[in-house]
Amino acid sequence: MSADPNKPSLFDKFKNTQFYRSIFRTGVPVVSHRQRMMVMLNSVFLHLHPVRLPKHAVKVRYTWCMGGLSFFIFLVLTVTGILLMFYYRPTIEYAYGDVMDLSQQVPLGIMREIHRWGAHLMVITVWLHMFRVFMTGSYKPPREFNWVVGVVLLVLTMLMSFTGYLLPWDQLAIWAITVGSNMAGATPFLGMNGPGSSLLSIGDVNFVTSVSDARFAMLGGRFVGGGALLRFYVLHCIGLPFIIMIFMIVHFWRVRKDGGISGPT
Amino acid sequence: MEAFPVPLKIIMEAVKHFINAIASPKILFNIVFLFYLIVFPPFKFFQRIHDALGIDRLWTKRGGIFIFSLMFLAFAFGLTDANFRLIVLKPDNVPIVALLFLVVFFLWFAMTQAKENDEAIAKGDKPKEYADSREKVLVFPDLVYIEFLCLIFVAVLLAVWAIGLPAPLEQPANPTVSPNPSKAPWYFLGLQEMLVYFDPWIAGVVLPTAILLGLMCIPYIDKNRKGLGYYTYQDRKMAINTFMFFWLVLWMFLIFIGTFLRGPNWSFFGPFEYWDHNKLEVLNNINLSQYVFMIWLKQGMPSNILLREAPGFLVLAVYFGLLPAIFAKTIFKDLYQRIGGIRYSIFVVFLLMALALPIKMYLRWLFNIKYIIAIPEFFFNI
Amino acid sequence: MADIKPPVSNTLDTNSTSNPPGDMDRRSFIKWSLVGWGAFVAVIGGYGSMVGRFLFPNVLFEPVQTFRAGTPYEYEIGVSERFKEKYGVWIVREKEKIFALLAVCTHLGCTPNYLPADHKFKCPCHGSGFYTNGINFEGPAPRSLERLKITLADDGEIVVDKTIRFHYEKGEWSNQDSFIPV
Repeated sequence: MSADPNKPSLFDKFKNTQFYRSIFRTGVPVVSHRQRMMVMLNSVFLHLHPVRLPKHAVKVRYTWCMGGLSFFIFLVLTVTGILLMFYYRPTIEYAYGDVMDLSQQVPLGIMREIHRWGAHLMVITVWLHMFRVFMTGSYKPPREFNWVVGVVLLVLTMLMSFTGYLLPWDQLAIWAITVGSNMAGATPFLGMNGPGSSLLSIGDVNFVTSVSDARFAMLGGRFVGGGALLRFYVLHCIGLPFIIMIFMIVHFWRVRKDGGISGPT
Repeated sequence: MEAFPVPLKIIMEAVKHFINAIASPKILFNIVFLFYLIVFPPFKFFQRIHDALGIDRLWTKRGGIFIFSLMFLAFAFGLTDANFRLIVLKPDNVPIVALLFLVVFFLWFAMTQAKENDEAIAKGDKPKEYADSREKVLVFPDLVYIEFLCLIFVAVLLAVWAIGLPAPLEQPANPTVSPNPSKAPWYFLGLQEMLVYFDPWIAGVVLPTAILLGLMCIPYIDKNRKGLGYYTYQDRKMAINTFMFFWLVLWMFLIFIGTFLRGPNWSFFGPFEYWDHNKLEVLNNINLSQYVFMIWLKQGMPSNILLREAPGFLVLAVYFGLLPAIFAKTIFKDLYQRIGGIRYSIFVVFLLMALALPIKMYLRWLFNIKYIIAIPEFFFNI
Repeated sequence: MADIKPPVSNTLDTNSTSNPPGDMDRRSFIKWSLVGWGAFVAVIGGYGSMVGRFLFPNVLFEPVQTFRAGTPYEYEIGVSERFKEKYGVWIVREKEKIFALLAVCTHLGCTPNYLPADHKFKCPCHGSGFYTNGINFEGPAPRSLERLKITLADDGEIVVDKTIRFHYEKGEWSNQDSFIPV
């Protein structure tokens, strides 16, 4: 940097190049009111937000930042999850060993830790987000439907966490999933241990058996084995993130369309 | 423990024994339930106790300091005990400890702001969010920077957490040996606790579905147009009191029990108790039909299934059929008139389903009732 | 269809009998909407059942569900844990019969342990207890343990088939395949 304040620095010159202006159209530094608005309008990501907000809506004591944090942690989990997929093979032979190796594969191997604790944290932030929305009465008209979408997202978050639970293939994993999936086996009519399942039969032929009930559809087998590991892996890495993303889009869109963040009228 | 002088040690042991004793669910649930009734009083009677004790003083700065010093003291005291440390510091339980503190903190945080607003409204002013909401700020930089700082904070927190606490990995999966106890992921422990009192199809399928549908129904049942966009308690007392019952008593408290107080064989253990695998609880439970026919009428069980379980069906019919009507004429009279028949019915059915859990708990503890309706032939037990 | 009144509409040409150009009459509207909805339901139903069926494969790559368990003379009265580790099955010999109990708790599927001193099976997950004949007597388990199909092969060896189960509540324990008389 040159000492003379009037002489343009190299960076200042760079900012006037065609290349730089083609990326950051607003220009730096952002000082004027107009520029600040243009930052929001010019960025596809920041465009999620409105340009202007009522002041209470930017205060942490009102929003607790929990919705935003849930989304951020979701992104962290996406990135760490993709990285973990490089080393993890979802088969009974390899899964446990691969997970054990994760901490040794690379120096400071905390990717799995970040993923696991992040998952716990996301469940907490999603719950607290719901709590905040309830306490400010933000589910009231016109935002009723967005609350419903939020409940769906809450369920999906917990399902994401549940499917991820099986992947290390340790004792904790298979027994938590055994207990959980046996609940599916107790679904009325659809589970073989559920009420009414024995009514769905013609003569001696039962339609709801251990290979054709809700539990089997979930596990891809009669017990928590290789099929279940693969199904849960696919759901965890592709299926549920895909669905959760769709609902998140709707959720964010509706926040804007329902009049932005709630506030007193 | 060696660090403490002997008399102090004796007192500490006595306190631990006392806490272990009251941690038994039969006592602890009553305490928590009473606590809820007084802090978020759904009835006039408890409102008077609430007022007499001046509970709303909790929702001030001094109240906050009081709550948190109490919590931290209790936690620090607990950490002097080896058994307590074993449960609380287990890596997978750390988030739950954090959750407990966070939930209490945010409860206090929300209620404190609600109290400030309520006082302003009582004086004829507007809630403090109102003045703010008249003023517009630019999202860049005001909000973007706050978000940015939040993200940095959480990213650092996650990294520190990840470095400090290795993610647990237990023995390789073995389908023929169940660990004792086998627990679901912590956020499902509320459900697992229900499984002790209900058949899997109720606790695992019907009740979770009801929880979700009930949550989704909130905006359509709550017709109160006040209290949108600011923290308030007085403007929507009924909604908050009801919600707190589900949120604190039926969800947080059950998770707390499932995590910290359930040990081998799913027996109850106090927070300072050693997890003895041989601790046996007598669990001989009796179905309602057995009560009616074998103990009261002193005869054999009828062979016809429907006749056998008629008492149970009768109880259910009264519970879901008659109670809503009685409530509509008595305790929920105002509510019924305010929100109308359809909304009222939906609300009451969900409420009764939720109340079935504590009711079943008490029936189990007092009369060893296993099932109200028991038709194992069709896997139909309630 | 013939005596249906003309549809009441708020548009100006209520009395005119002809439809505006490009519009369809009532009959062809019904016809086309039937075709449309029919096709819609067929496609959704077809794809739905295809996806549903896709979850249930024809071939399962799971460990073999039948195993041979020696001759009946190898068992003394009481519970044998010989095949618990490998197959999750107890072979129980009573005075007059031998049967196979599946070591899966009927509550939520944990594996119970056999406590020889108390002559019972005890589940570690939620504390359910079963007598050695499989009947539940304590804890949350709603039903008795399941008995498995057990037969004698031509060479006199016991064959246990884990895929066929017998429930006490349904009165299936008297079934010929559920035990071997000794």
